[in-house]
Amino acid sequence: MANRSLQLTLNGNAAEPVDIPDDLLMIDYLHEYKNLTGSRLGCGQGICHACVVIVDNPDGTSEEVRTCITGAHYFAGKRVRTIEGHATRDDEGKVTQLNPIQQRFVDEFAFQCSYCAPGFVNAATVLVEKLQRQPVAKSQLEKVVEDSLGHHICRCTGYVRYFSATRNVLTELGLVREG
Amino acid sequence: MKYPLLRIAMAVGLAGSSALALAETQVERGEYLTRAADCMACHTAKGGAPYAGGLPIDSPFGTIYGTNITPSKEHGIGLYNDDEFFAALNEGKRRDGANLYPAMPYTSYHRVTREDADAIHAYLKTVEPIERAAPETSLSFPFNVRPGIIAWNLMYGDGVPLESPEGKSQAWQRGQYMVDVLGHCGECHTPRGMAGAMQADKRMMGGVLNGYLAPSLLARDLADRGWSHEDLSSFLKLGMSDQGTMFNEMYPVFHNSTQYLADDDLNAIATFLLGDQPPEARVLNEVPLDQVSSSAQRGRQQYLNVCAGCHAPGGEGKPHIAVAMRGNTTLRLDDPRNLLRVIEDGIGEQKFTGFERMQPMPGFADKLDQQALTDLLNYLRQTWGGKDSDLVLADVQALQEEASPE
Repeated sequence: MANRSLQLTLNGNAAEPVDIPDDLLMIDYLHEYKNLTGSRLGCGQGICHACVVIVDNPDGTSEEVRTCITGAHYFAGKRVRTIEGHATRDDEGKVTQLNPIQQRFVDEFAFQCSYCAPGFVNAATVLVEKLQRQPVAKSQLEKVVEDSLGHHICRCTGYVRYFSATRNVLTELGLVREG
Repeated sequence: MKYPLLRIAMAVGLAGSSALALAETQVERGEYLTRAADCMACHTAKGGAPYAGGLPIDSPFGTIYGTNITPSKEHGIGLYNDDEFFAALNEGKRRDGANLYPAMPYTSYHRVTREDADAIHAYLKTVEPIERAAPETSLSFPFNVRPGIIAWNLMYGDGVPLESPEGKSQAWQRGQYMVDVLGHCGECHTPRGMAGAMQADKRMMGGVLNGYLAPSLLARDLADRGWSHEDLSSFLKLGMSDQGTMFNEMYPVFHNSTQYLADDDLNAIATFLLGDQPPEARVLNEVPLDQVSSSAQRGRQQYLNVCAGCHAPGGEGKPHIAVAMRGNTTLRLDDPRNLLRVIEDGIGEQKFTGFERMQPMPGFADKLDQQALTDLLNYLRQTWGGKDSDLVLADVQALQEEASPE
């Protein structure tokens, strides 16, 4: 395997270019080279979605990408957010405030063991950003949450609370319109 | 108890009589033949009651709906007698004398024996009658007028002439009946002309259907794509083999039809397709990276970026997850459209015989631009597909435009 230099933006900061194997998976790059261990390796085959990160596209949209089946070099030049990038931190890097989704998941006891939580937080974040561009009608809320979170697997089966907390946070953020 | 007819027969005290034994045998044979003829494919809507019709079939002449062939007297074929059923199967004639649209493959079923047609009819009489009309079909010329279909039938109704069975083995002859007649494989694998009829001079040479290629089934082409007799028959039985899995239109064919075929018939099919003296299946070795084109070399990074997570960096695939690229038959097709379509569209989760599963493959239409796709196709085809020339961007562009003309 040859090495190849990788440069990308991680959580708003340009990551220092590093020579990594050309077939290194993104999750291994995050864990082993960047010490960002919050993205979880679950199934390792693209099913459970515990490993997803957010990619910010140049057109202003954002999307989830599975890091356990996607090579690190796919992300070359891209803007990537991981679970570590959501909360507000002080100058020493300590978390001072969770983002609204994280806070709501905590408040509503949405997760139990938390292994799948980073994936669910990222999926809900992508959904919030999508609805910020175009709010959803109340009648469609249930479906939109199902479509956005439904492919994430929670082995503690905490789906009901994840889904309900997400519906509540979307409503709280004013992203649900009458209709 | 499986068969309502049998239940009725037993209720009136016929159990054990020779008439019943005959009926049971005929219905069982009919069930098998109905599977082999894959009637379900068109006559059952997605998630619908078996044989109740309603499946939309897109054609260049409009959308055709599979009809209700349950024994419903009002909406199905409950009033058909054996003669009328035989005429529908063999000549595309409805009970009222009207012509069926040639989406009904009577051009292939034309040669179904009377005995087999009666058995199929006997079986269909035992399925649950569904009292529901299938949606009406309306087509453009020439199929929207009766004389149009009559003229079409005069020209094309007999189907493609069969190869002479002279000097061929019993297995070959049985295989011909399974493939060319009951299985009506040519309806997709033989290209169609302007009038929508199979082109007699291009028998089994491969046709395009809904943007995918139903590849050539000629013996030399199958062998060139790596198919041996054993692999071909087990592929039909299991839906998967070293060469890959059934996907697109063949996936339901496997589910509704080929997985139920007896080993003798599977062997007969392989014998017919590859011939009594089958050509040697071509074995390909992986071509090293320094011997492929520069586009293919760039394509390797695309492969590592978005494919290798499941198909493995060395192309060996992962059991129950993703097929191998090494030895994959789709990579060996001259026409790259199936490979392109699969990469762009993905494949849903697949279930196979004996609890086997393959997990869903995502589509990459929004992840790979035309150059990346071109490079990736070149990498796959040159490394594991035995191809030695490059596709260019315009090739990919043309295939994409063909798939979505607007």
